[in-house]
Amino acid sequence: MQEFLLILKGDGMNHLSPDELQNIMSEYKTWVNTIGDKYIGGQRLEDNGAFMASKTDEIVTDGPFLEPKEIIAGFFIIQAKSQDEANEIAKTSPHLGLYQIEVRPIAMPKMD
Amino acid sequence: MVSKTDQLIEHLFREEYGKLVASLTRFFGASNISLAEDIVQETLIAASEHWSVREIPDNPTGWLVQVAKRKALNELKRNKVIQRHGSEGHLTEATESEIGTIFLDNEIKDNQLRMMFTCCHPGLATKSQIALTLKTLCGFGIKEVASALLTNESTINKRLYRAKSDIRDLGAAFDIPQGKELKQRLETVNLTLYLLFNEGYNSTSNDSIIQKEMCLEAIRLTKLLCEHFPEHKKSFALLSLMYFHAARFEARIDDKGTIVLFEDQDRSEWSKDLISLGMGFLQKSIDSSLSSYHIEAGIAAEHCMAESFETTDWQSIFNQYKLLEKVKPNPIIKLNLAIIQSKLEGIEASLAQLDLLTQDKILSTYHLLPATQGIFHMKIKNYQAAIDYLEKAASLGPSDSECRIIESRIAECRKKLNRST
Repeated sequence: MQEFLLILKGDGMNHLSPDELQNIMSEYKTWVNTIGDKYIGGQRLEDNGAFMASKTDEIVTDGPFLEPKEIIAGFFIIQAKSQDEANEIAKTSPHLGLYQIEVRPIAMPKMD
Repeated sequence: MVSKTDQLIEHLFREEYGKLVASLTRFFGASNISLAEDIVQETLIAASEHWSVREIPDNPTGWLVQVAKRKALNELKRNKVIQRHGSEGHLTEATESEIGTIFLDNEIKDNQLRMMFTCCHPGLATKSQIALTLKTLCGFGIKEVASALLTNESTINKRLYRAKSDIRDLGAAFDIPQGKELKQRLETVNLTLYLLFNEGYNSTSNDSIIQKEMCLEAIRLTKLLCEHFPEHKKSFALLSLMYFHAARFEARIDDKGTIVLFEDQDRSEWSKDLISLGMGFLQKSIDSSLSSYHIEAGIAAEHCMAESFETTDWQSIFNQYKLLEKVKPNPIIKLNLAIIQSKLEGIEASLAQLDLLTQDKILSTYHLLPATQGIFHMKIKNYQAAIDYLEKAASLGPSDSECRIIESRIAECRKKLNRST
């Protein structure tokens, strides 16, 4: 097993209506239940924060710092046997479509 | 395993959206509606994500309020930092202690009323008032507002942007007006709610769920007005009018989504509960002055009380329309009067009157005039004339479902003509 970071990019949910946001909950629930133990965690990020380019440059605060489609909206950590399996899991996520998803293996293999 | 709070009340997010946006706008000021909306949107996204992987809290509303408050305070801190750096600051003098009080139960209704007066500010275009009301007070999304108002998302976005910048430019206070101003401003709010309801009731949108939601929202907001301003009788008349119309909601459309004409409606499908609620509000609306809402509600009540189309008291309805014409002159009322004349003096007399109305500038391009002429000619078996009028009606841009009715009547006329030749 290896852990993967699913990086969600974009601002898709910002454009959903309250009704749509409420309805999408059940899709998420189903998805998390379906992948079961393979779901390790996840969080949403706020659009603001700070951006640092180097030790000497001034720290840019507030944000967002990027184009809407580039903003990292949140992340998931999942575990899977292979990149292919991780991709498959990401593909079934209800986030895909609202967000673009980058599936990146965490470099340190999980010891078990 | 299903936890006890596994299900949320339907439309909870939408209801809370309206309340939270109103309360946060009280905190940030009327010129910062967008900021309030962004914070509430973030709050709902957080809830949606949080609750889908964990349990829904016992008190979802309380959870939302806590998160929205925290986000609002963070925003305040961040903005203070920005102001210190000399960039553009735009927040009102809100203090952190204030935020505790504006979310108290009795303040929330007050906040929603303030929001109603802001959305219905007389300085805004009517279309903007309606769009803004649906978006901020009713919690509709851009797509839903667009579909409800039969336009596209970019038009709605522009309307909302314009409305919010107008509110800023007008320096509109997030307040409930007092004294003389209150009376005038209530007129605008009533009118916007009336139009909001009509938009939902008469709209030709294919999305009948959205239409109905829009009517229910108009009723909810009018009720809020009545509760808060019990001495303002016009709102009660408006509310009773809405109830009488809402009572016929289901009977107007058949299983296939086609409009059922008024005279063909199954009256047993009219909601007796809603009619009796309407009667109650009509009773409460009695006042020394008579508004157009009073008269329209009176006409609707007359229809609702009649056992059948045939036994309707047409003379009374005719008289009330005459009165309405005096209070609110409008060519559509002339059309209605001419139609009712068919019940009092016969179809020929009515057709002569309708013919005169074709001279009217507005009615000459209104599809329901030739549609009525066509249907009346059909009744007196003038099938060729009926076809001509119905074809004219079809060319004047009726809605899809009206078009289906017109086409089916044309086909019926053709059949009759073929049979007789």
